[in-house]
Amino acid sequence: MCRKPGDYAETNYDPRLSGGTYTVFDETSGAFGHELALLNAHDGRIHKLGDNGIGQTFVTAPAPINSGLGPIFSNVSCISCHHNDGKGNPTSGLVNSSLLLRLSLPGSNANGGPLPLPGFGLQLQDVGTFNVLPEAKLSISYTTKKITLADGTIISLRSPAYTLSNPYIPLPAGYLSSARMAPPFFGLGFIENIAEQTILSFADENDANGDGISGRPNYVYDPMTKTRMIGRFGMKANTATIATQVASAYSQDMGITTSIFPTESCFGQLQYDGKPDDPELPDSILNAAIFYIKTLAVPARRNVTDAVNLQGEQIFKQIACSNCHIPTMNTGVDVTLPAISNQRIHPYTDLLLHDMGAGLADGRPDFLATGTEWKTPALWGIGLFQKTSGTAFYLHDGRARSIEEAILWHDGEAAAAKNKFIQLSGTDRTALVKFIKSL
Amino acid sequence: MTKAIIPILLASIFFASCSKDKSTGADTSAADFITLKTTVITDFVNVVAVPGYTELKAKAAVLNTAVITLNASTTEANLTAAKTAWKDMRSTWEKCEGYLFGPVDVDEHDPETDTWPVNFTDMDALLADNTHSLSEADIESLTNRALKGYHPIEYVLWGKKTLPQTAVTLSKNSRQKLYIVSLAAALKEQADELYHSWISTGGNYAKVILTAGTAGNVEFPKKQDAYLSLLEGFTGICGEVGDSKMKEPFDAEAAQAGSGAQLVESPFSGNSITDFKNNITGAYNVYLGKFNAQGKGISDLAKAKNTSLDVKIRAKFEAAIGSFDNITKPFEEAIVVQRIQVAQTMATVSELATLLDTDLRSFIVTNITD
Repeated sequence: MCRKPGDYAETNYDPRLSGGTYTVFDETSGAFGHELALLNAHDGRIHKLGDNGIGQTFVTAPAPINSGLGPIFSNVSCISCHHNDGKGNPTSGLVNSSLLLRLSLPGSNANGGPLPLPGFGLQLQDVGTFNVLPEAKLSISYTTKKITLADGTIISLRSPAYTLSNPYIPLPAGYLSSARMAPPFFGLGFIENIAEQTILSFADENDANGDGISGRPNYVYDPMTKTRMIGRFGMKANTATIATQVASAYSQDMGITTSIFPTESCFGQLQYDGKPDDPELPDSILNAAIFYIKTLAVPARRNVTDAVNLQGEQIFKQIACSNCHIPTMNTGVDVTLPAISNQRIHPYTDLLLHDMGAGLADGRPDFLATGTEWKTPALWGIGLFQKTSGTAFYLHDGRARSIEEAILWHDGEAAAAKNKFIQLSGTDRTALVKFIKSL
Repeated sequence: MTKAIIPILLASIFFASCSKDKSTGADTSAADFITLKTTVITDFVNVVAVPGYTELKAKAAVLNTAVITLNASTTEANLTAAKTAWKDMRSTWEKCEGYLFGPVDVDEHDPETDTWPVNFTDMDALLADNTHSLSEADIESLTNRALKGYHPIEYVLWGKKTLPQTAVTLSKNSRQKLYIVSLAAALKEQADELYHSWISTGGNYAKVILTAGTAGNVEFPKKQDAYLSLLEGFTGICGEVGDSKMKEPFDAEAAQAGSGAQLVESPFSGNSITDFKNNITGAYNVYLGKFNAQGKGISDLAKAKNTSLDVKIRAKFEAAIGSFDNITKPFEEAIVVQRIQVAQTMATVSELATLLDTDLRSFIVTNITD
């Protein structure tokens, strides 16, 4: 007898496999730094070269190796900000700082992107090589406010304020700024390999389903391909590809020129070094670094059969966290990298922009993203941040010191979910947080 | 920092209930094995990690004193004494790199003291700029780690190959002397802080490991987590030596003659081979549960359940450590004139890293589940 096959039941899948078949089982501080399985010997070698590359400290030109730091920069190596391939600290100007400040003028450039701030560009470089002035020093202060939950629990939220001092030239009036803390590296190969149609299937720009959530994609100009592409990376989905993201970090964070961004970040400024050494990073190292980022595996979920976690997972759905933090999707096909090809993954994001309300607003548009919109961040690995970073900080600028604080900062389209969270019993709230920490 | 990992096979977990490999296992009872699992963690803290950092602290003090003496009396004898003290401290540090997790990682002692390469352009500018006092506070305020730590001290003590440092040249350069006095003091400060971050009267990181697997331990909810961190630590340094520290200069030299030496760490002192050997020795120490004294290590756990695995791992460690003795030239020369020996060592170290990352990882996941 012929029988039409039914759906493959959700329960048949292993919920630990956040990053598909080749999810990595490591709960230590090194959990974010594992090479994807299935890489052939050549690819494995390129991955290791990339690993070595992202660990390299750049020094002032001229130098026999790793030459070209700055002359203005944010830090000296990738791992100085992305500790253990993960997130960093919301501090600025220190050797282990991981926070940067985007800058721009109101309006947009010919490609729809933000307008550079004259004399400062699109990012503050708050460190200089010896005897080179930083563009300005950034200081961060916090004011706190208390939120009382329905069961009487009081949670303190800290709101950051960023102040620029000692600018090397006067800061133009009316500039826009927005802080960013270094995000983790892992899993980005999967994100890049999600079909655009899949992302668009999550969108509901006019809130046709009436759930109060109206996610929409960002479309950005990609300087490498010189085309308009869907944005996937960055806190506002303002970058389309890993290649551009990595090259941009070399340029803006370290002052290292590449074939993708061959002009010094300080070109046109008083302290431009004028050295004929661009691009400072060989393509071989740039490409290896890009490949490294693309081929970092995703750590597995923990304690998936724990009753409290299962309860928390239900609450995550019930209060509609999962409407934006979409748990499950499939990647597209990539015959060159089977480990990220056609994989069922659990990133807990829709990669779309959402209005998150006034509390989180930076007032700085970036391509289609408005000053109140942010991309839904992936939640995979979030429970390991404390191990990989020592101290866990959450949200785009690290203002939240706990999962609870991060949830309470949600507003705008997420206000309803946040309000339901506030109403939860202590038991349910604990279960929800425990579930999120199992991701 | 990444390395390949073999996905854990569910089968290995399902077979975990086997008490021992009868063909190879020793006679340790289940109760003894449970005790041993705790002892190994205790000994890692009390016999390996804390004694390692205690020794590092002591040697940092010796180097600091030697550099102060050299500054006060710049003689060949005092220069030699400072070089010896630098190598001595370096030896301990490289062994301590066998467990690069915890405060050394989180508080960034590693990049703060062992950043490579030296930023020569900025260092020359710093030494020439008299507005910088080069006091310890001045050095501490530098935001560029490539101007601090072991390697700038090494550079000043040895000089470049083409322009070696001597007591005569150094005595004419008071700024260089001031610089290393402050660098050595800052290095001592780092070693002190690292030590204090572990002990009970300081940050007490020791307690975090000692309480692995007990309620409330966020970093190591299970004993297995602590064991995997140990494994990650000593496997990682083996991989770094074989796949990066040695391979990058080796491959660069093959691609373009003369380019490999630029990538060699510790080139001024010609100490790279010793560094590498001490790294692997440090990893072996963690496996064995020893630093200077001998305690119980993961080796004993392996021996209890799977003697052949332990024998295999110890043989591979000893082969890797011994293979460095075949390289008789400084590494920057060996990558040119002793490429066969260097290749053999890299292969052995790489095989060791793979063995640890596969067989030993599987052993830990299978046998330490609490």
